[in-house]
Amino acid sequence: MPRDTLTRQIHHLLDEVLLLGSMVEQATLSAVDILRQRDLKAAATLYENDQLINDKRFAIENAILILIATQQPMAHDLRLLAATLEIITELERMGDYAKGIAKVTLQLKDADINIPNRDLERMASQAVNMLHRGLSAFVNEDPNEASAIAGEDAVVDDLYNHIYHHLVETMIANPATIDQYNQVMWVAHNLERMADRVTNICERTVFIATGDMLEMDTTDDEESDGE
Amino acid sequence: MTTQTNENNIIIQANDLSIYYGSFRAVKNVNLGIQRNKITAIIGPSGCGKSTVLRAFNRMNDFVQSAHNDGKILFHGQDIYAPEVDPVQVRQMIGMVFQKPNPFPKSIYENIAWGARINGYKGNMDELVENTLQAAALWDEVKDNLKKSALALSGGQQQRLCIARALAVKPEIILMDEPCSALDPIATLKIEDLMRELSVKYSIIIVTHNMQQAARASDLTAFFTMDEDRAGLMVEYGETSQIFTRPKDKRTEDYITGRFG
Amino acid sequence: MISDPFAATEHNRVASGLSRRHRTGKIWQAIFFSATVIGLVALVALLWTVLDKSFSYVAIEYKVDPATLSSKPLQELTNAELVNLLEANLSKNRFRTLDRKQTLTERTHADLLTLIYDNIVEPRALASYSMSQWIASSQEIRAEVAEKYPDAKLEFRAWINGDFLIDPLSGDPLLVGVRTALMGSLFLILITIAVAFPVGVGSAIYLEEYADKNKWYNRIIQTNIDNLAGVPSIVYGILGLAIFVRTLAPLTSGALFGNADANGRTILSAGLTMALLILPVLIINSQEAIRAVPNSLRQASYGLGATKWQTIWNHVLPQALPGILTGTILAVSRAIGETAPLIIVGAATFITSDPTGPFSKFTALPIQIYNWTTRPQEVYRNIAAAGILVLLISLLTLNAAAILLRNRFSRQHA
Repeated sequence: MPRDTLTRQIHHLLDEVLLLGSMVEQATLSAVDILRQRDLKAAATLYENDQLINDKRFAIENAILILIATQQPMAHDLRLLAATLEIITELERMGDYAKGIAKVTLQLKDADINIPNRDLERMASQAVNMLHRGLSAFVNEDPNEASAIAGEDAVVDDLYNHIYHHLVETMIANPATIDQYNQVMWVAHNLERMADRVTNICERTVFIATGDMLEMDTTDDEESDGE
Repeated sequence: MTTQTNENNIIIQANDLSIYYGSFRAVKNVNLGIQRNKITAIIGPSGCGKSTVLRAFNRMNDFVQSAHNDGKILFHGQDIYAPEVDPVQVRQMIGMVFQKPNPFPKSIYENIAWGARINGYKGNMDELVENTLQAAALWDEVKDNLKKSALALSGGQQQRLCIARALAVKPEIILMDEPCSALDPIATLKIEDLMRELSVKYSIIIVTHNMQQAARASDLTAFFTMDEDRAGLMVEYGETSQIFTRPKDKRTEDYITGRFG
Repeated sequence: MISDPFAATEHNRVASGLSRRHRTGKIWQAIFFSATVIGLVALVALLWTVLDKSFSYVAIEYKVDPATLSSKPLQELTNAELVNLLEANLSKNRFRTLDRKQTLTERTHADLLTLIYDNIVEPRALASYSMSQWIASSQEIRAEVAEKYPDAKLEFRAWINGDFLIDPLSGDPLLVGVRTALMGSLFLILITIAVAFPVGVGSAIYLEEYADKNKWYNRIIQTNIDNLAGVPSIVYGILGLAIFVRTLAPLTSGALFGNADANGRTILSAGLTMALLILPVLIINSQEAIRAVPNSLRQASYGLGATKWQTIWNHVLPQALPGILTGTILAVSRAIGETAPLIIVGAATFITSDPTGPFSKFTALPIQIYNWTTRPQEVYRNIAAAGILVLLISLLTLNAAAILLRNRFSRQHA
């Protein structure tokens, strides 16, 4: 079958995307863990290491541009490369969320507040789990699995609402800590947004497989992302 | 088989068209409606019958002695293969540009004027020559050398002259049979730009084996391939943007992505 | 440095066989060159023989030496003086007969000179020595002539000269000319071309553009034409004799057009026979030329809504014409030199009147040349050589004209 070169290079590209994905997963889990431990040194390192994720994303983007320019992919190949461009952007933004969590850790220092670590860790592990399976579905081009994963976003949304209400109640009870708790609110928000972005990846997966763009992200806000 | 549904805008329509060379069926059961003022590309692997179909549209297959058809080709509702139809008239209304630039070994002027003259053009010939050369984006390059032999032009210029020559007969449809396969990339892009300009007034059907060209230059794309019995058939027909990003048929997908065969 | 095990073998592979190949090449080149040289030598030998024989020293015996007739050379005398000479040297009866035929005082200078030569001087050529013989042994020839023909004078004579071209045939080798034969040949070729060209090109157009090559009758026609091109010319002569001279005699003799006392052995019959002879070659060459016109040109024409005839007339024929003309040149050259069929359809070997129309009796250059070479007298070799020169020159002139015509067409369609 012709086009072995293009096929091989696309496989290599997908490996790189999985690598980028695992970097993001690692960073997210670490970020929440570091927050629980209030390990400022590790937080600073994590904050710095986001650059590695950015570098990786640009390297993959460059490789895709070269493939488009030199191999003139069409139809499925073209959809795959275009979707991958989107997906690595999503991954890079997820990396930024992890970096944002590390920043919160740095800002909270050793402030004496009651962080809902268990709920945040559940959120993080749920989001990372979705991302991991979402990338697998992407690489395997499994639109059914992708749709199913997108549906799990509701679990994360529920956790977020639970934490949100808990934090609001705490802030009302103790207005002097609003500033600190607001920071914690951002951590939850970032994790919630991360799961939204996994649904975007799932949308792209369906697009690659079928050529149709489906809106799966049920949250209606496409707000710009704070760090 | 998808056909465009905009019935009013169809200028020529193949209905259940099968083309035979002797007993060999080269093309089978093609249903293809060509839209007015659009560029329609026909793509497909070698031997899929795309040129055969194109030549059926202006009865150029008549010159192949063993060729005969089943089905109809309706041009303004009239079957062009009906016994009362004059193939010469059909070819005047449906012009053709060939793979290799084939200007007549005469002057540039004569190349344009000849077709008009044999078709009984009575108007101002100088004007016609200038207008058609303008329309073919060649006027500025040749206006001082109209008496020069057409064979002295470059390949790309010759092909544009051939397009101008076809325009001078006032056709409604222009058939192009791989018009750029003998040209360099720059000349190719010029022809593609020219096709875009011409599509305002004419309907263009282009056969090409260059997928990028079909993707760049056409509005609609028909994909042909060969069946097990070696007969060509139309697999998919639709907007070019759809064919090249989201083809519906697996065979189209394989061909477009270069994984054919 | 580590020696590369491949280096040595690679070197051998590159160099081995090179000198051998060069040697083989040189040998072949030499073989082809010598083939060319052989052809060239043959051509030069031919030209040399012909030219050598066209000029010679002739031993001429006069009944009356022209030098004794007048103090001045005869050419410088006026018409009146020439008439006086005739009157003085001829019997009264003879003089009156000549005068009655055409009044002597009204005759041209050249005519009068001829009369004097024919009736008074009466030269006779006794022996002829070609230029090469003369150059090699002029002394011996002088001695031989002095001994054998004491009354003869040894004169240089260019056999090919103005008089040779404009004089009619004659029984006297010193007075013979080729005008009759030349006119006959030209007339013949004219008829041949006029018949064979349109018929040949027409057939070629039919076979190439119209005929369905899968139909059995077209295939038979094609095969026959190909075979006819190889048929010996004498067979065509027999055919011409049977059809044109005998069967179609009323037509070819001109009887139908009120031409009495004639038979079918006319220039028209000969021209038609020649046309038949060159037709297959002409058709095949025209077919080749038409086939060489690229199909893309026809398609371009059809694509513009041209009819078949418009396509053929405006594009195929002009493009094929140079090739057709080349073929015609070759065929006509063959016809000009043909002798056998002419003899069979009855060309006259001796005729002094020029052809005046298609129903004339005629002779042709090759007939005369053939005739002269069969004569026993030495001088006829010289006349034949001069005739050959005339034939060659007229052939070259005809070809040059056709080539000019062809080049004009090629330029137009370049």
